[in-house]
Amino acid sequence: MPILKIDGKDIEVPVGTSIIEAAKKAGIEIPHYCYHPGLSVAGNCRMCLVEVEKFPKLQISCYTPVTEGMVVHTQSERVKDAQQAVLEFLLVNHPLDCPVCDQSGECELQNYYMKYGLYDSRLMEDKVKKHKAVSIGPTVMLDGERCVLCSRCVRFCDEVTHTHEMGIVNRGDRAEIEVAPGKEVDNDYSGNVVDICPVGALTDKDFRFKCRVWFLAQTPSVCPGCSRGCNIEIHWNKERPYQTPGERVMRLKPRFNADVNKFWICDEGRYNYHWIDQGRLLKPMQKRRGVPHEVSWEEAFGTLSGLFLRPQEMGVIVSTDMTNGDLAMAQQLFVSELKVKNVAYQWIRKSGKEDELLMKADKTPNTRGAQALGFEDRSGEIYEQIEKGQIKILFLFGHNLMEILGKDQAEKMRSHLETLVILGPHAHEGINLADWALPSAVYAEKNGTFTNFEGRVQKISKAFPPMGMAKSEREILKEMARQAGIHINLTV
Amino acid sequence: MQAKFQMSSELKTELDKIVSQYETKQAALLPVLNLAQEKYGSISPEIESWVADYLQLPLMKVREVVSFYTLFHAEQKGKHHFQMCRNMSCMLRGCEEMIEYLKERLKLEDGQTSQDRCFSLSTVECLAACEMAPMMQLNDRYVGPLTKESIDQILKEIEINN
Amino acid sequence: MKSYPKILSKNFEVPHAQHIGVYLSGGGYEAARKVYTSWKPEQLIEEVKKSNLRGLGGAGFSTGMKWAFIPKDSTRPHYVVVNADEGEPGTFKDRYILCKDPHALVEGILIACFAVGSHKAFVYIRGEYVEPIRIFREAVREAHEKGFLGKNVFGTGYEVEIVIHQGAGAYICGEETALLESLEGKKGFPRLKPPFPAVKGVFGCPTVINNVETLACLPPIVNLGAEWFAKLGCEKNGGTRLYSVSGHVNRPGLYELPLGTPLREIIEEHAGGVWKGRQLKAVIPGGISASILRSDEVDIKMDFNSLARVGSMLGSAGVVVMDETTCMVTTLLVAARFFAHESCGQCSPCREGTGWVLKMIERIYEGHGRSQDLDNLLDIGKNMMGNTICAFGDAAPTPVISYITKFRAEFEYHVRHGKCDLEDRSQKSE
Ligand SMILES: Cc1cc2nc3c(=O)[nH]c(=O)nc-3n(C[C@H](O)[C@H](O)[C@H](O)COP(=O)(O)O)c2cc1C
Ligand code: SF4
Ligand code: SF4
Ligand code: FES
Ligand code: FES
Repeated sequence: MPILKIDGKDIEVPVGTSIIEAAKKAGIEIPHYCYHPGLSVAGNCRMCLVEVEKFPKLQISCYTPVTEGMVVHTQSERVKDAQQAVLEFLLVNHPLDCPVCDQSGECELQNYYMKYGLYDSRLMEDKVKKHKAVSIGPTVMLDGERCVLCSRCVRFCDEVTHTHEMGIVNRGDRAEIEVAPGKEVDNDYSGNVVDICPVGALTDKDFRFKCRVWFLAQTPSVCPGCSRGCNIEIHWNKERPYQTPGERVMRLKPRFNADVNKFWICDEGRYNYHWIDQGRLLKPMQKRRGVPHEVSWEEAFGTLSGLFLRPQEMGVIVSTDMTNGDLAMAQQLFVSELKVKNVAYQWIRKSGKEDELLMKADKTPNTRGAQALGFEDRSGEIYEQIEKGQIKILFLFGHNLMEILGKDQAEKMRSHLETLVILGPHAHEGINLADWALPSAVYAEKNGTFTNFEGRVQKISKAFPPMGMAKSEREILKEMARQAGIHINLTV
Repeated sequence: MQAKFQMSSELKTELDKIVSQYETKQAALLPVLNLAQEKYGSISPEIESWVADYLQLPLMKVREVVSFYTLFHAEQKGKHHFQMCRNMSCMLRGCEEMIEYLKERLKLEDGQTSQDRCFSLSTVECLAACEMAPMMQLNDRYVGPLTKESIDQILKEIEINN
Repeated sequence: MKSYPKILSKNFEVPHAQHIGVYLSGGGYEAARKVYTSWKPEQLIEEVKKSNLRGLGGAGFSTGMKWAFIPKDSTRPHYVVVNADEGEPGTFKDRYILCKDPHALVEGILIACFAVGSHKAFVYIRGEYVEPIRIFREAVREAHEKGFLGKNVFGTGYEVEIVIHQGAGAYICGEETALLESLEGKKGFPRLKPPFPAVKGVFGCPTVINNVETLACLPPIVNLGAEWFAKLGCEKNGGTRLYSVSGHVNRPGLYELPLGTPLREIIEEHAGGVWKGRQLKAVIPGGISASILRSDEVDIKMDFNSLARVGSMLGSAGVVVMDETTCMVTTLLVAARFFAHESCGQCSPCREGTGWVLKMIERIYEGHGRSQDLDNLLDIGKNMMGNTICAFGDAAPTPVISYITKFRAEFEYHVRHGKCDLEDRSQKSE
């Protein structure tokens, strides 16, 4: 492997590595716009120029491969002058609308200007007029005047989705981003063009004007939208008290994982978060004479642990939306300790859209995890046994029987049961069937892991506390077990 | 909804022949557009999508190309298209005056086409005929050096032939 | 007037020389026949190297060397691409070859194809050249008919086809990699280099790109020998050149003269001197991309090396002459407008710089210049140079820097008084 020197540091990287990547490895950031490691190299912004000894001209670090013994300077006067010059060129036609720009705070033009720019402005000519605030797709807005023509978005549509909706029309300083007439940026991954746009030219309608980025906190997680398990960041509003009915999650962003999703996530996953804070079940409820009443967790645990004396009459249906920790707790309690026979997962949302890139047909995140813990897709047998009167108590995790069986069938099923306990985050219609409805936490409210379709176990982190009185399934079961005198210590 | 554009069958045969000369279909894009424009007078959005389908290209790749090259135009030009060179050698030899004179004679500004689609006037960059400066391209023909008299003469001939 | 041998223009005055019969009667296609029937490619490449033939499209790179870069062991097809985009303002030589001696180009292409093992040549001709395209197409047809092109060139079983590709109006497509993109049906965006076309050119295959005039030099080199050709020119610059002379001269036109002919001789003798009995003010020696020379700098030999030494370039040998009445602000406006119009728009410095420079010069031209404008223009020009994908980014600021530097006082007058000092001078003298 070639060894080179960047700003005095010796770095060893594989043959073919670009200077910019080698520098990144050494913790040296080289400013750039057009370069994106997930796309081909365009080399057009000229922001990443560095000085390479023995080369008379500055070289673009995104395109220049390292060679043995190369000596690179990223901080020399020449480099700084060049960076300043490029920034100045990019600002020649850039509107001065940072205060009203949604990208403010995460704009690489603004950021680099603070770091590398700061010269006396001599930009006094009129700016070229281009299209502003154009809707170019169901989720994407374009402001042509803010665009720095780095062509990342075009390359994304050409190289990643192969949908080719975007392009650069005209030439010289009249060049601008355009979408083919009568077409829209409406592929399954369109939201990514907003992520990769280094400035505020492309913005997400879902996020526009919702929240200034400096109010956002970021928590690493895994998308629960399908069995791919794309790595994401949950961006949530830290200013808003979580008890309020307002949404805490402001957006989801992809998080790089070379083996799973690279830099991308699909739109289905990206916009799959509004449910998190909508229609939540906030308190444990018990139905008394047909009417739901709020109860305390202590009351719930106390009463429900009594059911553990009748494991032969018990059925348990878990969900593949649950984390491995929650599933392991269910497995320990119901299978290992109570020896319940009728334990299964119900596999819902298993045949959605699938493609070559990321999307998997199984729209739940943890089917492999449930299988690895010995759960099987045998919910049908459980329903049969309920109908035959063999199962009288059902613990149902996350599911909505009305959705699964249809209203009539669900009500019929209910009538065969003596006790129906539902643990779930949402107060959907099916909750009304329950004798006990226990609020559980959503993935963004807990730590844990999901196992993706390839068997990769991936960590999710708690972004904020559970809403209302919700608890993770794991805590609920553990507490219930403790009340019944069963102590379970899980190390998952 | 506009009726879907249909390329004439003779032209289609000619286009097929062009395409067969190239290693990729895309490579035939410029000649195909050139020929289509020669035949139909402009590159309309309908022609753009026809060509995209014909060469199996994304529409945007055709859009980009049409917008990049100055010889492609979306609007019909006049029967007599005066393209006046305004680059260095022509400027040095007085093209400004010729352009002003022609504007006056045709009652057109740069980039305009007359109502009756008889005349179009454009200014263009060097046409590589600087030895005949000041010069212009009139449809396919290079004409120069221009004087007010030669412009008068040209306009007279056009009038007679009309 | 001194007279020199006519090599490239020998047929320009011959009636009907564009017809193959006339061309053949002057010994046409003998060079190609000789090469195909009795030479080896390596021998041909050596010969061309020895001739000191340098690319006449502008860059002046040794043609033999360029050919030698084509990989010998490649299994992919090789291509010859002819650059007939002729867009450099002030240049019109290739048009003469295409129209007046098209078979010289066909023969040159045949020779180049043989040298690099190519069976197909694309001739990229600028879109405005409707008439030259028609004439050249006819020449190709004639050569085909005679069996000089096609599946069995000169009965040797070697195949060569020529495809004529019409451009569509973009100066940047003269840049060789933009030309390749355009040939592939894309926008003329120059490519990042390396890889160079010799390794990865059109359709990803090894490709040689040569200018029309360069290729037209090949038949005489083969016929009369590399040494003879080298001696025509001067040191390291073999042969003659077609100088396109325009602007304020009495006889604008195309003059074939040896490489190294003094610029003053070209203007004063061959082009008949500055018109209207006026004094010389400035000359652009190699197309609009070349640094301008003041009248006191024209005692210079017109070859690649001599002009590079004074910070200008021979480029396309487009000589644009300006007399004493020329306003340099106006000339810079024309140049800046051209570059802003033609930048492909890829690189930020070039895209934004060309537009910005134009707006500033327009403002000065209109009489609203500010005192800091000239230094700013020089600085912006300097910031564009050397930092872009293609050499257009170096060419565009060249007029800005050279005109302002060499005619600073005139620009300053314009900025200060909001008008030209020439206007003032002529008014005073009236
Ligand atoms: C902006 C730009 C424009 C150019 N235009 C032309 C042109 O119109 N014709 C040409 O032959 N070469 C042109 N060139 C030079 C070509 O890139 C290339 O060097 C040449 O075609 C090689 O042929 P040669 O070695 O025979 O000169 C241009 C270069 C640049 C950077
Ligand atoms: S819209 Fe954004 S990503 Fe696309 S070219 Fe412009 S700046 Fe780059
Ligand atoms: S330097 Fe100018 S013309 Fe050349 S690639 Fe860059 S933007 Fe295009
Ligand atoms: S990041 Fe290297 S040129 Fe844009
Ligand atoms: S400047 Fe007009 S033809 Fe060259």
